Amino acid sequence: MAATIRSLTRPAHGADNRPHTKHRTLGLALGLVGVVLVLIALVGNISAANATNEASAAQTLAWTFGLTVLGFGTVKFGIAVILVGILVRLWLRVDSVEASLPALRAASDGNQLTAGQSISTAFGPAVISTGQPKPLTIHRMAGTMWAPMLAMGAMALVAGFVLSLVWSAQVGNDESAVAASAWTQGLQFLGEGFLLSGISFLLGSILASLREGGASVQESVGIVVQTLKMPGTAKIFVVLMMTGLMVSITQFVLYLVVAAGVDNPGAWFAWLGPFRELGLGLLLSGIVMALVTIGNVLGFQFHRIREICAVGR
Amino acid sequence: MATATFDGFKVDEFDRAPDMNLPQKLGTRLWLPMWIMALMGFGVGFLLAIVRADAIATGSAETTIASLGHVQAGFMFIGFASVFAAISLAIARILGAFRTGGSSVQEVTGNRVQVLAMPRMAKAFIVGMMMAMMLIVIAVIIHFVVGASVASGATSVADGNQAFEILDGVRRLGVGIYLFSIALGLGTIITVLKFQASKIRSLARNV
Repeated sequence: MAATIRSLTRPAHGADNRPHTKHRTLGLALGLVGVVLVLIALVGNISAANATNEASAAQTLAWTFGLTVLGFGTVKFGIAVILVGILVRLWLRVDSVEASLPALRAASDGNQLTAGQSISTAFGPAVISTGQPKPLTIHRMAGTMWAPMLAMGAMALVAGFVLSLVWSAQVGNDESAVAASAWTQGLQFLGEGFLLSGISFLLGSILASLREGGASVQESVGIVVQTLKMPGTAKIFVVLMMTGLMVSITQFVLYLVVAAGVDNPGAWFAWLGPFRELGLGLLLSGIVMALVTIGNVLGFQFHRIREICAVGR
Repeated sequence: MATATFDGFKVDEFDRAPDMNLPQKLGTRLWLPMWIMALMGFGVGFLLAIVRADAIATGSAETTIASLGHVQAGFMFIGFASVFAAISLAIARILGAFRTGGSSVQEVTGNRVQVLAMPRMAKAFIVGMMMAMMLIVIAVIIHFVVGASVASGATSVADGNQAFEILDGVRRLGVGIYLFSIALGLGTIITVLKFQASKIRSLARNV
């Protein structure tokens, strides 16, 4: 299973860099479909706002909710597909750098660093080793978890959309409408949480491939390997992602409590809606930190390639 | 700066490694303030939601509940607009790292520097991001105006609810466009990676 997931993101060593990969086209097509679904839901919302019959408006608002969240999920799935494409391209870039660097490398000035040493760089502290550093636990986890997260997210979203149709049909029947509404909201936002976690794991996999690929390039020209220590932004990313995922799971459980029957469900819905949005907000804030970390690591990698080309070490 | 074509890519040529372009510089400077604003928006939005839930549970006036609903949604979506802006700016910063890093490697190897001209996808990314930001910000402003109007009694609760339903759809469309713009930004990274992989091989061939 892990090997199959890995093969999706890692092309064969020495594969041709020139052909187009389909990830971007597929990802953007999914993104467009998602935006169209949200647009249809907007039209539904406007018609509900202008409806004279309250029950008919409530029915429309129920399915537009389901359709909107399904639309968001579709765009997010498209983003995930594009991230897989980035991972594939990153490995092809590693191949290109490994093939080119021996010719571009300057003669060494002999001033070699020693393994085990820690150094300070403009991009943060780094460690020196003679070979590939051990993969971090979080990177190993990211490499295997992104696909199950995306699959579970997609299933929860589709199931939630079907439930939104049930909710729409139950309008007027108070108890079952509340239960269907709670199930729809809880399940769909659990799906959104899983999708954003899948995207976070893909970003973690990108960081892992930058670490492994960067070390592999340095090793290929026979010099000591410099690897950045885990930056503070990466630690914040992990904390926010885990917290956001926990909030997404908790909101699902609490919606099930509402579906089972509580006094005054309106008061529960009033805070559960923003609570589930808070969960997504935390996951998205973590994604910002992951992207910032990727920017820093790239800066460090270019600095290393420049150093190898200029002074040979 | 001159323009040329390299391996099917439209490129700009420079004598020395160029700096980041304006969107990339903005990305470097603004991602952190946006991220902080997002966390504040989510925090305030959630606190207001608890206040509103308490108002519902204790049977407060309908105008208070409706007004709080508008203000709460407004703050929550300040959070979402900010976090999506922070993500977009962080992507621009990554593109900036590719531009400055890739060109500095070309410079150090003694070559004339070729930088990928801004792809159409990157331009669409910026336009989409701005459109989405405007949609969400306009919806948030209207939420605050309607919320104040309902609280003062100038707008009825029913009209306030009607406005909420429409604004809800508009905000969601803004989020959808934001997410699609992010997909375009990430798609641009694929183009840049492909260009750089070809470019470094050509540098080695020219040695």
